[in-house]
Amino acid sequence: MPLIDPVTMSSAITKTTKAQMPVNSPKETPESSQLQPLHPTHILPSPSAQTAKHALPALQLAIFLIRFDSLVQNPVSTLWTSLPLVIVIQAAYAYVCLPVAGSGRGARKHRPGEKKKEGGPNVYAAILLSLLLSLSITPFLHVAMMLFGAPVLTHLQHTLLCAAHLSILAIFPLFYVHGVDSASWLAVAGFRAPFDETFGGLVGAVVGAWLGAVPIPLDWDREWQKWPVTVLCGVYIGYLLGKTIGGSQLAFGKKF
Amino acid sequence: MPRPNSKPTNAQIPDYKTIKAQFEAAKKKKELEDAAKAAQPLLDTQKQQSVLDAQREAVEATRKANFERRWWWTVGFWTWMLCIHAVGIAYFTSGFLLTRLVLDEKSQCAVPPTHANTSSGAVDILPDWPGKGTVDGGCWHPKTFDRAVVILIDALRYDFTVPVEDDAPFHNAFPFMYDTAVKSPNNAFLRPFIADPPTATLQRLKGLTTGNLPTFVDLGSNFAGTAIEEDNILMQLRDAGKRIVHLGDDTWDALFPGYFEANLSHPYDSFNVYDLHTVDNGVLEHIFPLMERTADWDLLIGHFLGVDHAGHRYGPDHQAMNAKLAQMDLFVRQISSVIDDDTLLIVMGDHGMDAKGDHGGESDDEVEAALWMYSKRPVFGRTDASFVKPPADAKTRPVNQIDLVPTLSLLLGLPIPYNNLGRPIEEAFSGPRGNNWANLAAAERTAAAGIQRYQASYFAARGMEQVAKPGSPAEMWNKAEVSVKERKPNWRDVYTNYALYQAKTLALCKSLWARFDLVKMGAGILIMALGLVVLLLYVSREEDDDMAVLDNDELDLAEKRLAMQGVDAQTTDEATQDFHKKLVKAAVLGGLPGLAVGLIQAVVFGQDWFTGAGNAALTSVASVLVTLFGAGKLLSNLLPASFWGWLSVVVAVAQSIGFASNSYTIWEDSILLFFTSTFGVASAVYSLKIESLVDRYLAVYHSVLFVILGRLASFSKLCREEQMPYCESTYYSSALSSTSATWQLAIPFAVFLILPTIVKGYLIPTRSYEGLAPAWIGYVFRTALFMSAAYWILDAADNNNWFPNLDPSSQSLKTLSVYVAQCVLGLAFVAGTTAFIWAPPCVSILTTASKTGRAQVTVLGYGNANGARYLLLPLNILTAVLLLSKPMGGGALALMFWQILALVEILDLNNLTTSPIGPVVLAMLGNFYFFKTGHQAALSSIQWDAAFIPLFTIRYPWSPIVIALNTFAGQILATVCVPLLVLWKTGPKRKGVLESVSRALGIFLTYYVVESLATMMWAGHLRRHLMLYRVFSPRFMMGATVLLVVDLVGILVGLAGVRSNALAVGEVFGWAE
Repeated sequence: MPLIDPVTMSSAITKTTKAQMPVNSPKETPESSQLQPLHPTHILPSPSAQTAKHALPALQLAIFLIRFDSLVQNPVSTLWTSLPLVIVIQAAYAYVCLPVAGSGRGARKHRPGEKKKEGGPNVYAAILLSLLLSLSITPFLHVAMMLFGAPVLTHLQHTLLCAAHLSILAIFPLFYVHGVDSASWLAVAGFRAPFDETFGGLVGAVVGAWLGAVPIPLDWDREWQKWPVTVLCGVYIGYLLGKTIGGSQLAFGKKF
Repeated sequence: MPRPNSKPTNAQIPDYKTIKAQFEAAKKKKELEDAAKAAQPLLDTQKQQSVLDAQREAVEATRKANFERRWWWTVGFWTWMLCIHAVGIAYFTSGFLLTRLVLDEKSQCAVPPTHANTSSGAVDILPDWPGKGTVDGGCWHPKTFDRAVVILIDALRYDFTVPVEDDAPFHNAFPFMYDTAVKSPNNAFLRPFIADPPTATLQRLKGLTTGNLPTFVDLGSNFAGTAIEEDNILMQLRDAGKRIVHLGDDTWDALFPGYFEANLSHPYDSFNVYDLHTVDNGVLEHIFPLMERTADWDLLIGHFLGVDHAGHRYGPDHQAMNAKLAQMDLFVRQISSVIDDDTLLIVMGDHGMDAKGDHGGESDDEVEAALWMYSKRPVFGRTDASFVKPPADAKTRPVNQIDLVPTLSLLLGLPIPYNNLGRPIEEAFSGPRGNNWANLAAAERTAAAGIQRYQASYFAARGMEQVAKPGSPAEMWNKAEVSVKERKPNWRDVYTNYALYQAKTLALCKSLWARFDLVKMGAGILIMALGLVVLLLYVSREEDDDMAVLDNDELDLAEKRLAMQGVDAQTTDEATQDFHKKLVKAAVLGGLPGLAVGLIQAVVFGQDWFTGAGNAALTSVASVLVTLFGAGKLLSNLLPASFWGWLSVVVAVAQSIGFASNSYTIWEDSILLFFTSTFGVASAVYSLKIESLVDRYLAVYHSVLFVILGRLASFSKLCREEQMPYCESTYYSSALSSTSATWQLAIPFAVFLILPTIVKGYLIPTRSYEGLAPAWIGYVFRTALFMSAAYWILDAADNNNWFPNLDPSSQSLKTLSVYVAQCVLGLAFVAGTTAFIWAPPCVSILTTASKTGRAQVTVLGYGNANGARYLLLPLNILTAVLLLSKPMGGGALALMFWQILALVEILDLNNLTTSPIGPVVLAMLGNFYFFKTGHQAALSSIQWDAAFIPLFTIRYPWSPIVIALNTFAGQILATVCVPLLVLWKTGPKRKGVLESVSRALGIFLTYYVVESLATMMWAGHLRRHLMLYRVFSPRFMMGATVLLVVDLVGILVGLAGVRSNALAVGEVFGWAE
């Protein structure tokens, strides 16, 4: 039977061919990211990086715990004041521990004419850019939270700040590491990236935020049940856990 | 045949190999034939052609007959499943929902029960009094008061009224009643007043007026279900020509429609618990003028809600409660000063409140209310000097709330209502000096005789006999009757004997009506659980199930050719064909012995007749389980193999666990939004894997759209009381109304303008907007939508009196609107069904000349031939439920349909049509939109007024059907769309359509069975929980009803639709198998 029209008579056949297409077909679609598999990001080998890898999460957790009461009492102002602190810690983390995008994990990523500098691309600019990019993602996260049932007309600052914290924690390191490389981001957004500290942190933060919604409806009448404390707790705990597990031997380099 | 989402292992299954071998054989044969044909003359070819045609027709006929046979067996299987669910639910319910017969008998003033029962001549304790046997003198007992003022302070807990040594705001704020009882015991007394759970105001009012115990379902309730039909004290008053005035809580109006003096009574809405003062101020405003017009009424009821609302809103430990109680104190002071000598004043609570100020359950704080009686005349006495001081706590000398009915009846000279189980309160009959034992004995005996008479009628109505075993009430009764007939009776002993009889009977009735039958509940749960295992095994995926998805034209051609030549190529079909047949046979054969044993038990051992049904269900399920295991279905198949399998399991199980908590049950709507959004976001992420850029963007677009639509629909809310204050209702114009706001009337018009275009938009890409589709969707569907929008305008015009010039008595607007509604339903059901049955596939055949000059036939819409045609059926159902839901609900249902269309696209683009996630998400959508169409898992949210959309009066069976379509619109629409998940974007050559639909239906039903089983188990487990009657029990009832509705709709509409669809498509394109 000849192929006639992709959407009419032959659509069944198209489907059939799709279904029949052997898995080990040699020719995959060229723009597929599988062509150039994404490599997991190693933490820089320097001693300071290895120390900061453990120290910064501990610092983050400590700050979160110290400010927890104030967060429950007054979420908006606490989130506002702690945001710069989180930014600084994350920037320091990126600066000390993470390889900047384009710094090259292998020689093949270098363009021939490029002069090999000590720090690769400008690290400070990269940090600033990544921060701006991840902050620009915040409104989208805000909308996503609304879609899951967060208040739309009230608590705008609460949700926005929660989204900002999520963005700085989980998205910023990814921007720093991957830049705006579309193939990498496709893998990350499709949750097909290999586990490392940055991707593990993202997965942990997202799962944590999801689970953080669980205690909200309970009728325990506790102050900390109010929006967005539990979700924020989930984000922080999830991020730190995910980052640790993602960077550990347990999961490093593995995929879903 | 490996499909991207199926397990690639073992793809080369034996069946496939055989077919392939046959295919190869056929190919060879054809080549040989072709060679032979070339040599044959033209004449032969013609002859051969006609032979081939005949053969093809024969094959088609066989295939059609096969399909129909298989369809009947499938229907048989699902009908069996429905029976299992019905028996399981019925079994559990019979042990869980306590029911009581409502007797129609009324007490007569002239027929005292003491005379009806004494066989050996009437014995009277009291000498005849003037006016005996009349309401003016006292029917059964001398009358004490002409009039009564009953003040009901909702949720007046006993400890609010007695001195307590602490600084709590709710203590010592209401001292007046205690002080009067202590200072002038002959004028007043105060005692704890114990409510029978459930402690909801409606049930309490029933108890306080009938003198009987409330149960969850009183058998004999009518369709609308609230008005009291039993004999009660208000009915006795009304029948005696007395006038009753009511002020306050409008629950009274629902229970006693038409009882109250319309020009003097002032009911107020009881729903808004956030308003502490409107009801109370209304009562206060109207009650004092009435005190000066005592000639106009005989019973005055004032029902205050402020204390209750303060409790609900703030809890008792709040200054507002203090202020409320102080206000009540002042009020009782004032009213007691203005009543006259012949008026009895009663102040009481109908229930208490728990520590948080809520009520409904059976905890001590909730059942302990206060009762205070006051009279200007010294009437009340104490049989013991120590009784003068009111009890310090509610555990001492409590009075049952049902005791109010006989007390008030006898004091006002009325007959005691027929169903009364209470006894007269001692203080009111013992005389001012507390030693009038003869009077006490007479009152107690009258009440006891009434109880005895009621018990005899009840046992007779139930077809049971009372036995006078030692210690039984009957024995107590005989003993008391003997003591009263002694030559010189000791009235104190007589009084005690009758009181003992009353206590014993009450205890017996409580145990009969308030006991959970754990064995029956357990049996129900067991049947449901086994049914669930059957379902799980049935839907569990096996390798050869993938074959059903095969969609290969060449293979089909080859198979057909083989069939024509008499070669049996249907090896795969044999198994599936016999599958349902085998199951149904096992079910019937397995059920018979159980049924037989049950019948023998019923006849020989006198057990309940439905034991047979339970036994049959158990043996039948067991037999089917054995058959399923025999067919190679294993429990190990049940473990989810993919992310989507896990997601399906997690959402269903998480929700089921959540039903153990009242919070998660209360917030189910938000949780469903959370889960469906999770699916949408996950599918957006998953879609990024799709290789083709166009498909990827489409899949992401539909996923995002799916989430946004769901969130949009979530703005339609009807909050339940427990969600306050974190929830704002938007379903109606205000929290106090059940009519739509004016702006909401625009929603149906928006639906009318947009929805048909959207549906069209989903058909265009596959060129399926052909055949009947343009006419039906573009014109008929659109017209029906316009008419239902017009209906709601007419309805609003009628409600709000927009056309004052119209004569209201002619009801022209109502008449018009009902006919419009009937037209829409006629279009949806009658015309729609006819059109669906007769419609050809939504395809169009084009003949064009190709480049080579040869004629080429193009079938537009071929790729979605199954799905596009089937879509007409859900559209018809949608039309009906859109009309029957309020404008806001109609908008929500339109969004639901859009979401379903997005869902089928997502599933198709991601190759997830065989994954369990599709049916599970669809089932969640069904429940989600139950909440979005203005419903809650609470009886109070049933929109009874929907029955009057297409009808003028209640008519059976139409009214219940309309109510069901309104209530379960979401689930019904979802069920009808189950086949769409399978059929969407499949062509006529899709094999195993019926089996795939049946499997999808199985997964869909599994979700509802899991929910229903979980709510059942939790309701049974938490049967002593505070929130049983408010949260768990209603959710169980909803789950059970939904399951039966979904089962029924799945068979009657879903499977029938698939049959009709397959017949029509097979007729045109030939049968695929």
